[in-house]
Amino acid sequence: MSVKVYSTPTCPYCTMAKEYLESKNVQFDYIDVSADRNAANEMITKSGQRGVPVLDINGNIVVGFDKAKIDSLI
Amino acid sequence: MHDVIIIGKGPAGISAALYTARANLKTLIIGRDDSVLRKAEKIENYYGFSDVISGEFLLREGEQQALRVGAQIVDDEVVTIEKKDFFEVVTSEERFIAKAVLVATGQPQKKVRVENLESFEGRGVSYCTTCDGFFYNNLKVGVLGFKDFAVHEAIELESYTSNITIYTNGKELELTEKSHEECQRFSINVKPIEKIDGSEFLQRIYFTDGTSEELDGLFVAFESASSVDFARKLGIITEGNAVVVDKNQQTNLEGLFAAGDCTGGFKQISTAVGQGALAGKRIIEYVRSL
Repeated sequence: MSVKVYSTPTCPYCTMAKEYLESKNVQFDYIDVSADRNAANEMITKSGQRGVPVLDINGNIVVGFDKAKIDSLI
Repeated sequence: MHDVIIIGKGPAGISAALYTARANLKTLIIGRDDSVLRKAEKIENYYGFSDVISGEFLLREGEQQALRVGAQIVDDEVVTIEKKDFFEVVTSEERFIAKAVLVATGQPQKKVRVENLESFEGRGVSYCTTCDGFFYNNLKVGVLGFKDFAVHEAIELESYTSNITIYTNGKELELTEKSHEECQRFSINVKPIEKIDGSEFLQRIYFTDGTSEELDGLFVAFESASSVDFARKLGIITEGNAVVVDKNQQTNLEGLFAAGDCTGGFKQISTAVGQGALAGKRIIEYVRSL
């Protein structure tokens, strides 16, 4: 399974998403878009918007910490 | 440092304060006289009064009761809550520190109506400078609001850009002296807004006088900061406009409680008072366990 979490350091819901995936023992890449402009652009292209967190779970895009949607994809 | 800061001085907040102050917790209540209960002229369904009472009367008596048992009350607007080692509750004038916080700010006010505002959410419109400010580095951003909350959000955005305008949507600014001084460094536009528009992302804001200007991002901070605004900053779980709490009024963030209309459900004085009491009891246990 390929999981990416696009985040910023000041976003509380990003931390929640990270902790939730950890609690489910899901391996993921945690990407700080504030430190990586290319990753920020990639996130905007994938999700069509500029809010964090964005999760890419096997190519399925989840905007925000949407637990139900995450559960359905992991 | 305070043991507990209670945001809101309606029935839920005052009820909690009665318990925490009587348990010798250093209790600070912060709020403005803006409770919807103040508008209620006749209350007939609250226990203990054989005559009809007014909301104004009940609120006044509640405040006096809280003061009598040792709580402090500050008349101010809370613009944000930050979680560090403890909670930092920021008003337009001061920064207070507390071990626990109770949000009892009542029903969140209705969203401001601007055409296309919802359709551009995430594509230029944001409700959280803390979360999304980064995406507007060196771009032109606006804050939609007219109170201290809007000025606070504009100040937060200065980390990312210097091109900031506060759009009041036809309202007069309602600011404390300090916020008034701070907002001098921002552009202020008081014209009523007709709509916002763009293509993939927000590009322009239009006013009812036929003028328009370019805009990359619009952060909504209308009226005073609500429970939902605090939740967004702290990562508190909400359902719609309601803060989610457990049976002890505890949110998902340890030490942060909520009670009354901001938690949804049956919005009555009696339920707010009951939830305030439960929160007060649990806050006492929590603070003593630290």
